[in-house]
Order: sequence, then structure tokens, then C-alpha cells
Amino acid sequence: MSHAILAEEVTKEFREGNDTLQILRGASLVVPRGEIVAIEGPSGSGKTTFISIIGCLLAATGGRVEVAGQAVDAKRPTRLAEIRKKHLGFVFQQFNLFPALTALENVQYALNLKGVSGQRAKQEASELLDRVGLADRKNFLPRDMSGGQKQRIAIARALCGRPDVILADEPTASLDAVVAEQVLTLFQELARQDGRAVLIVTHDSKVRRITDRVVRIDGGRIAA
Amino acid sequence: MIDLAWKMLFFDKVRFLITISGVAFAVMLVLVQTGLFGGLLHNATVTIEHMDADIWITSRNSPNLDFVHQFSESNVERVRAVQGVKRADNLILSFMQVSLPNGSEETAVVYALSDFETWGVPWLMTQGNLDDLKRGPHVIFDEFARKRFGEFQLGDYRELNGNRLKIVGTTRDAKSFTTTPLVFIDYHRAQQIQPDLLRGRASYILVKTEPGADVEQVMARLRDILPYNDVYTSKAWAERSRKYWVENTGIGFNAFLTVFLGCLVGVVVVAQTLYTSTMEHLREFGTVKAIGGSNWDIYQILGKQAVLSAIFGFVLGYIPARLLEPIVEKGDLKLIIPSELSLMVLVGTVALCLFAAAISFRKVSNIDPALVFRV
Repeated sequence: MSHAILAEEVTKEFREGNDTLQILRGASLVVPRGEIVAIEGPSGSGKTTFISIIGCLLAATGGRVEVAGQAVDAKRPTRLAEIRKKHLGFVFQQFNLFPALTALENVQYALNLKGVSGQRAKQEASELLDRVGLADRKNFLPRDMSGGQKQRIAIARALCGRPDVILADEPTASLDAVVAEQVLTLFQELARQDGRAVLIVTHDSKVRRITDRVVRIDGGRIAA
Repeated sequence: MIDLAWKMLFFDKVRFLITISGVAFAVMLVLVQTGLFGGLLHNATVTIEHMDADIWITSRNSPNLDFVHQFSESNVERVRAVQGVKRADNLILSFMQVSLPNGSEETAVVYALSDFETWGVPWLMTQGNLDDLKRGPHVIFDEFARKRFGEFQLGDYRELNGNRLKIVGTTRDAKSFTTTPLVFIDYHRAQQIQPDLLRGRASYILVKTEPGADVEQVMARLRDILPYNDVYTSKAWAERSRKYWVENTGIGFNAFLTVFLGCLVGVVVVAQTLYTSTMEHLREFGTVKAIGGSNWDIYQILGKQAVLSAIFGFVLGYIPARLLEPIVEKGDLKLIIPSELSLMVLVGTVALCLFAAAISFRKVSNIDPALVFRV
């Protein structure tokens, strides 16, 4: 099975005044297609930094990263944007939906950015929302929807352009137990049916139910 | 394509209203100030523009229409003999004192011609007959004079420099830069009223050229025969007159300063609201980047919002500025907002709003995309 995510000896340093903070100290992880991996760890352990590097949102200081076989080269920002556009989907703890857009428009806009426009974008957005169980909420604004519904819009948006990798940061943190279960089941489908790699950063033990593997990040290193 | 710029802008209606109010205020300020400035300058040369003359012959170095020196009226005979001249007449422009019924006096700018009709002045008679000027000691007042001279009717008498004249007509729109009322009397009557200054003398010679004549050539011939006068086209004379007021009274600097302040207010308001809005939507812009958008996509959003703010703000400022026109007209002033000015202000507003938006571009280009993960 080919690797959807490959991270080798990834390091990340931040400078704060004269001090250098080493957040990642050689984190390595390989996630094949179709696998769900949870990353756990205490606050400040580098989970979000790691997922940001995998998500081409942050440049690593050292090490090697590949997403869907594409080398992540921080020196080429346009290349990073291309990888994000073609191979990655994001689900955020705070949903990060556009409040001025309806559910359908939120998904449609993401499709527009990925080069799908017009009626085709509308059709695809509609199908994605059907898939996450929001067929009857397409024209609602996020402010009129529950946390679970918002997260489902975010998942539908993350699926735009059929990415190889879904990166989710605490996707159940803002949800109640029942809704969290529904969202996790969705992630499970994405991995099992579509063969997508799903990397979930979480503190939530419920997530373990759907994962193939749980890795722990601590002190900037990943332990299986 | 989902129009995120439009949707974001109208989603927060209060902020949008604040933004366009700032733009509207600036637009109104610029339009009204420039319009008043234009109105003043229009008054300064309104008679030149309405006089059906191709060429104005003035005394040497006359700075503007109102500040004249008289010269020999016989010069007109020489002008009439010049090739290419179809018609030439003397014009008297002089300041005279009008005695009012309450015993006080006001100044009037007197325009005197032998044949007003030929030269198209006055251009807007509201009462009376222009021909009556020749039929006795008669005068035509502009309606605007009521503000200075008090109420008057046709058939009333007023004294000009102590000479009793009957009011035989009224005009509209005949104004001067200094807002001194304009009155019209017969050429010879003016010389009778002010003999010391005007007997045998004229203020201007108006020239109408033959159809097809080269005006520049005619002017050159006129300069040859009248070395102690200046010769201008109507347009050049109007420009010289306006330039005098702009450069010598501080009115030009005043207008420039107000326009500059208006633009500054507009830019500051728009820049401030757009920048604050950008800061508040930073997470959304970070999300745009995370889901595949580029800085250019975000610049387009900000740019479009700036253009929309400019257009809506312009309309909101333009309407009250236009509504002010008749109100200002009721006063001693004139507000002129030509379509060219409106277009320039619209283009300027869009440009300045885009400039204001560009201040936010730097912030956006430096967004840390990882902020989307932060709670």
C-alpha cells in the first residue's frame, strides 16, 4: 500500500527573542491510504505543529515530508498551496466555516477554489452535503445550525476535490457525545469506503473506537 | 462562483453602513466643495460664456473680467475694418451705485451694449422686453439683485449714480464672482450716467469673426492694429479671469485643501474599517488559504469589497450633494456638479478605497495559515 503521509525526522523550531523553542525533535510517521491514525499527547506537545506541517500550512525546520507522494518543500509556497488544494482536506475544531455563506455555499466556495465552478460545483456540493446527512439544511447559515451540523459541513468541505488525506484537529471537541459518534462514523466511512488516510489530532478517547492506530506525541517525538 | 467578498461585506450590515457612510461623507464634501468652487468660477465668467463673441479685446494687462480699464471707443472702427471680422461692438462694464428706497446704496455691475440681442445677452429674460432698454432711461435687473436691492417690480424706478431709471425687465442667472448684482442698460445711457469715466470710452470690444475665418489669424491682425490692447479668444479670456481669482484670492488653495481633507477622511475611514474587518476575518482568510486559496484570492476579496464600498459610498454621497444644488441656489451661491466632476470623483473614490484596502494586503500576505488550528 502506498503512503498517503510520510514524515521522517521532522523538526520544528520557533524563535522567541533570543531563545529557540524546539517543538518537534525528529517526529516520524507513516500513514498508508485507507488508514485512520489518531495523534494524542498533552497540550504543548507539538500535535498541532505536526499536523500543520503535514497540512503544508507550516514549514518544518528539518526532516522530510511527503503527502500523497508529493514532497513538501517549504521553500516553494505555491507548491504547498497546490498540495493543499489537490491532496488535503481539513476539519477544524472551531469548524472555520464562512458565517456569511450557507452550508451549500460554504462547500461550493471550496470547490470553486479547487477549480470546479458553476452548476457542477453546486451539484457536487449538494451531493457532499447529502452524504454527510445535511440534505435538508443546505440553505441554512452556520449561525442557524448546531455544532454537529457545522462539523458535518466542515467535513463535506474537506471532501471537496476528493483529497487523499483528511487532517482533523480535535473534530469532536465541540460536539456532544451522540453527535461526536456520528461524525466519527463519517470519518470511518471516508477511510474504509474511499481509501483516504485520516489523521486525527485528539484528546478524546472516543476517537480510539474508529482508529487503526493511535500514536502519542510527547516532547516533540512520536511514539507508536 | 460564490462571491465571498459581496456576501462578507453585506453580512455585517452595520459595519458596511459605517464604511459607506465614511466614503459618502468624503464624496459629499469633495463634490460640494468642488461644486461651490466651480459655481464661483462659473459666476466669474458666466457673461463671457454667454456672450456670442469669438474674440474679446481688452485693455492692456486686464487681470479679469471685472477689473477693467477703459480705452477709446473709436478703436472699434479699426477692428471692424479688419479682414475676417464679421461684427465688432463696444461693451461697457462698470461699477455703479444703486440708491435703494431705504436710503442706502449698493453697488451694481453694469453691462452696457448698443445691441444686446446680437450678442445673446442677457441670456435668460424672465420679464419684460429687451428692446425697451433703448426706449428711454431704462434698466434691466437680474432677479438675484432682490437680495441686495430689496423687492422691485417692473415699472419701479431706481437711481443709478443719481440717475433715475425705470425697471423694464428682469433676468436670471446673471451673476458675478463677487456676487455683486448685474444690471443691463443701453450703451449710450451708461456713458450719460458716468460721463467722467465712460464718455468716448469702452471697456471691451466684442468681435464675431466671419464664418470659416481663421480666428488665430484674425487675432494676429487685431494685435497689429491695436498694440495697446490685449486680444483673447473667449475661452482664453474666461480662463484668464478664472485663473486670477484662483491664484490671487486663496480660493483655489482653499478648495484644494478641502478636497484633500475630504479624500483624507474617506481614506482613513475606509482603511480603518477595512483593516479592522480584515483583522476580524483573519481566521476566515486563513481558512481560504487552507482550503486551497492563494493570497491573490484574498486580495481579490478585499479589493472587491473596497470597490463595492466606494460605489455604494459614492451613490450615498452623490445624492445629497445633488439635492443641495437648489438649496444652495436659493442663497448667494451656485453649486455646479458637472458629470465630468462626478465621474472623476467616482474614479478617485474607487482608487482611494483600493489604496485603503491595499494597507490590509500586507497583513493578509503574512497570515500564518496554521492559525486555523488555533482555538
